[in-house]
Amino acid sequence: MFYRSGRRNSRHRYQQGKHKRQQNNDREAIPLVSSINANLDRIAGILKAPEDLVVRSFKIGVNRHACAIICIDGLVDKALIQNQVIDPLLHHFTEQQVDSANKIATLVVDEVLTSFDIGENETYEDSIGSLLSGDSVLLIEGLATAIIIGSSGWNSRSVEEPQTESIIRGPREGFVEDIRTNTSLIRRRLREPNLRLITYKLGERARRTVVMMYIEGIVHPDLVEEAKRRIESIEIDDVEGSGTIEQWMSDSFLSPFPLIANTERPDKVTGGLLQGRIGILVDGDPFALVLPITFSSNLQSPEDYYQNWLIATLTRIMRLGAAFLATFLPALYISLLEFHHGMIPSKLAFSIAGAREGVPFPAVVEAFIMEITLELLREAGIRLPKPIGQTIGIVGGLVIGEAAVSAGIVSPVMVIVVAVTAISSFSFPSYSFAISLRMVRFAIMIAAAFFGLYGIILSYIMINIHFVNLYSFGIPYSTPFAPLFWGDWKDIILRAPVEYLKDRPRMLQTRDSIRMKRK
Amino acid sequence: MSRRQYDDNRISAPEMTITVTSMIIGVGILTLPRVLAGTTESSDGWISIALAGCFGMLLAFILGKYGVLLGNETFYDFIGKLITKPIAAGLMIVVMFYYAMYASYEVRAIANISKTYLFERTPSEAIGLTFLLIVCYAVSGSRIGIIRLNTLFLPFVVVLTMVVLFLSNTIIVWQELKPVFVTKPGPLLTGAQESGFTMLGFESILFYSTMMKRPKDAPKAAVFGVAIPVVLYMGIYLACVGIFSQAGLQEIGYPAIELAKEVKIPGEFFERMESVFFTIWIMTIFNSCTMAFDMAMHAGYSVFKKGKRIHWVILLAPIIYYIGMMPKNVIAFAKYGSFISYIGYGLIILLAILYPFAKRKVKRSWASGSTGGNA
Repeated sequence: MFYRSGRRNSRHRYQQGKHKRQQNNDREAIPLVSSINANLDRIAGILKAPEDLVVRSFKIGVNRHACAIICIDGLVDKALIQNQVIDPLLHHFTEQQVDSANKIATLVVDEVLTSFDIGENETYEDSIGSLLSGDSVLLIEGLATAIIIGSSGWNSRSVEEPQTESIIRGPREGFVEDIRTNTSLIRRRLREPNLRLITYKLGERARRTVVMMYIEGIVHPDLVEEAKRRIESIEIDDVEGSGTIEQWMSDSFLSPFPLIANTERPDKVTGGLLQGRIGILVDGDPFALVLPITFSSNLQSPEDYYQNWLIATLTRIMRLGAAFLATFLPALYISLLEFHHGMIPSKLAFSIAGAREGVPFPAVVEAFIMEITLELLREAGIRLPKPIGQTIGIVGGLVIGEAAVSAGIVSPVMVIVVAVTAISSFSFPSYSFAISLRMVRFAIMIAAAFFGLYGIILSYIMINIHFVNLYSFGIPYSTPFAPLFWGDWKDIILRAPVEYLKDRPRMLQTRDSIRMKRK
Repeated sequence: MSRRQYDDNRISAPEMTITVTSMIIGVGILTLPRVLAGTTESSDGWISIALAGCFGMLLAFILGKYGVLLGNETFYDFIGKLITKPIAAGLMIVVMFYYAMYASYEVRAIANISKTYLFERTPSEAIGLTFLLIVCYAVSGSRIGIIRLNTLFLPFVVVLTMVVLFLSNTIIVWQELKPVFVTKPGPLLTGAQESGFTMLGFESILFYSTMMKRPKDAPKAAVFGVAIPVVLYMGIYLACVGIFSQAGLQEIGYPAIELAKEVKIPGEFFERMESVFFTIWIMTIFNSCTMAFDMAMHAGYSVFKKGKRIHWVILLAPIIYYIGMMPKNVIAFAKYGSFISYIGYGLIILLAILYPFAKRKVKRSWASGSTGGNA
């Protein structure tokens, strides 16, 4: 099978988990009884009657039939419950004579309640699950079934511009924490009846909503199966966010490189879905996952498709160059200075030597001092409140750089090298990829310190060995370079004119590979 | 709706061509122009390269034909039916040692040349060891991964050679290439033999053709795989003669690298192109070494059918390192190289001679198989 499983033992783990969950069910799957008071007591008892549990009891009809509505304060839209549930219930039955609880239940659902999201369930566990998701539970005396009314409504952030992936041209919408808003952002872009949303409740305790999306008829069925298998194998109290799911589903946890992309941009997810990839949204996290990806996906930005192909191609070549610089530049500097002075043009060699005069450290130490300072500044800039964060940039960039040079700790050339490296590493659309390169950069610097150019080329070879043995859901990370897919090269470094991007990426083996009708 | 499927562990014909090319291009070409300058007159060495190339292509074609016969069998199982198991086992062990020596030769060459061009003080043992460790890392991965590495690295090497040849265009003294066709057949054949040694590696088709999507394409892929190095070799050789002249060429240790030294980079962005040239060249030497190691493991494993990949890596790596470090000086090392080449050609020619018998045998078994099915 092409889309093969990454972890050998995950099936085993999954079955273990199932077993455990079964036990939980045994303990809690107790059916509701027909006595309303018993039900109320039991539910309140399980939750230990917290303060935010609201119980509104009332009596309806001529013969004063007891009913109660329970919900959790803060999770529900109170106006909705009042207008669409309590109001109609109290006014509808004033003149009617109804005896059996079943009849009332049928009437309530069929004629009285005006809210449209209504369901039923019969166990305490399910009722409490609904309560905790923001639904209201309507209990009726004499009825062993709870009527669930969808009433969730809480404050959530409005759709804003994504923080991490800014682009010049293109939609400014980013995902928010609320998953319903996020699915709507995708749906609004993709009015495709074959768009499938598979909902999971993940986390033994948190029961977080996770939605897997794909377009049936495009995506390879094996990929969907494999992704489902991996999602279902998640066995944890709370999935916490897309990051945890990403790590759980990745083929290899030993690799520094991202095997699943994360993005705040709905247009990126939509593009991925149309290419035959799978998107995953997690409730409470504005980051969506897109899988599978390859090395080259990290250098692509949605903006590439909004710009003229020449501009986009140039930008991509620039990013590739940036990837090279961000990874190898400090190492090259070290190896040239420590091992291969002869390779530097003589005039430049003189000026570098002049600038380095008085610097007490070898180039390696110098490079490490500056690189580590820079990483610290970057980290501090993220943590600090925004206004101070900018100050840190100025302090770090100007003051420390300038001061370090005049104090004779580092040479000005080193400052240039570090600055160019930093700028290059900020130019990727994928933040997690930039972090991976950062890590690799330090390793290569060490290699260069020991073996010069030879060390750099060996590290480059090592990275490539790592890539060819790395898979993202069965797709080699080095695709489409190796294995070769010439057709996909149109949209890797080159971004061919829109008219020529007729096929979906072949490496994804889509069921419908044609994007445009051929004339 | 079209349905494209590719098997994860299969390689296409272009990838096979790249594999054969990567296996051939290695250390040999770096010294070949000097060797040819010693045996042939003027610029006639290209005839030797062409002769060796044609011979190599013929052998590659025949060995590629085995790809169809093998089917899903390993080479050992197949040849075992042909010449009885014990002889086949002996043959495979020879193959294993041949490839182990091949790998050790590459390791030692890396150490020697790095010492000349990149380092002054670092001991060659350390250089060779780091290289071998990286090779071990590669071979302990998957076989298909090794093939993919070729696809990733070869373009760099080919493009680099093209760039060097293009830039050297301005400094070639065309007068040095004349007169042509002045060498007698004898020296030409000696030169062809020497060139043939540098063409070794196309026999890898035997071990990788079973991984092809359509083994039928193997002969073609192998022939193309030999053709690319032949063209590159001729280009490098002619450029070397043009720049250093035949007499000067004989004195230069690694003419192909020195060629890069002579080249001036426009803009003079950096100097000493030869360091960069050799650094990039390490990639293709690495590919040859990795594949040789892999085939040694494969040959050994097919006989004993024991152990995991990592066990074989641990078993073979010290042997490779040890025999690689044995030759005491450059002369002993060159002799060692010729020794490996003789074994290589011995094996290849033996297998090429066996091919007609193998084919007849397989045909017969197919024929009997089909009649059996009908009855």
